[in-house]
Amino acid sequence: MEAAISSILFYLFATVAVLSAFGVVASRNPVNSAMCMAVSFASTAAILFCMGAQFLGIVQIIVYAGAILVLFLFVVMMLDVKSEERNLSNLPRAIIGVVIAGVFAGMVTKAALLLPDATAGKCPVKALCCTDYDATPDTTVAEGELSGGALPELAQDNADVKSLGETLFSQYNIPFVILSFALLAGTVGAVALGRKIRKD
Amino acid sequence: MTPLAHYLILSGILFSIGLAGVLIRKNIIVVFMCLEMMLSAANISLVAFSRAQGTEGVPVYDPQVLSLFVVAVAAAEVAIGLALIVAMFRARKSVESTAITTLKD
Repeated sequence: MEAAISSILFYLFATVAVLSAFGVVASRNPVNSAMCMAVSFASTAAILFCMGAQFLGIVQIIVYAGAILVLFLFVVMMLDVKSEERNLSNLPRAIIGVVIAGVFAGMVTKAALLLPDATAGKCPVKALCCTDYDATPDTTVAEGELSGGALPELAQDNADVKSLGETLFSQYNIPFVILSFALLAGTVGAVALGRKIRKD
Repeated sequence: MTPLAHYLILSGILFSIGLAGVLIRKNIIVVFMCLEMMLSAANISLVAFSRAQGTEGVPVYDPQVLSLFVVAVAAAEVAIGLALIVAMFRARKSVESTAITTLKD
């Protein structure tokens, strides 16, 4: 039952993500594009939640739908962009773009279906499955709540964030530090590019 | 349960819609939005592999770390790119990609 619900939710959010991605490409007004992109990112975050990657889903909402989208909207507002009119001279360009993207999508689909075990439908994430998950309510938790008896269960709930952090700060510590330099360079570069250039 | 191939196909479709947008649209801001959609589509694929490679219900966390790096790089890239777009608007008074023809003429 739980597996069926998670499948239905996946297909629902996948449809919403694809339709709103079409909206980003098709709408003439850049503000409409940005709003469609917000919906697309939110449903992508929901799909990440469905896969058991809670931390990345939250990061997707905070960074993409929060920070990046607001930056886009600020720039659209600041530059006063007019909406693009649709005329026939765009047609060859549109046809070429759709053909290239369609060929790419076909290649990815074929490659995904050819992967070994890709269509088997395994269920590797324990928290999303019905197996070994103790569904019966534990009566001792209610008694132990005041004395902090529920703490081990909380730690179990945060297992995703904990393991991700352990991997990030042990095995990938040096790339993480280098990444912070990339972010610093991005900030400095944005300030340098956005400054008004003096002619003297 | 949803098989791995469906996640990969969804990721591929979202990536190709972004690619089509980059090729079709002339407004540079929309082209940049489509680039962001391509990056986030790659994230879905990474997390799907992280889940599929796991054993005993615990996913492999290396792809998720890579996905986190992709998000951070995307944020830095947006800051730089939007500053470039603002600089281009100051120089050309337009955000259409057809306005950049200095090397062509």
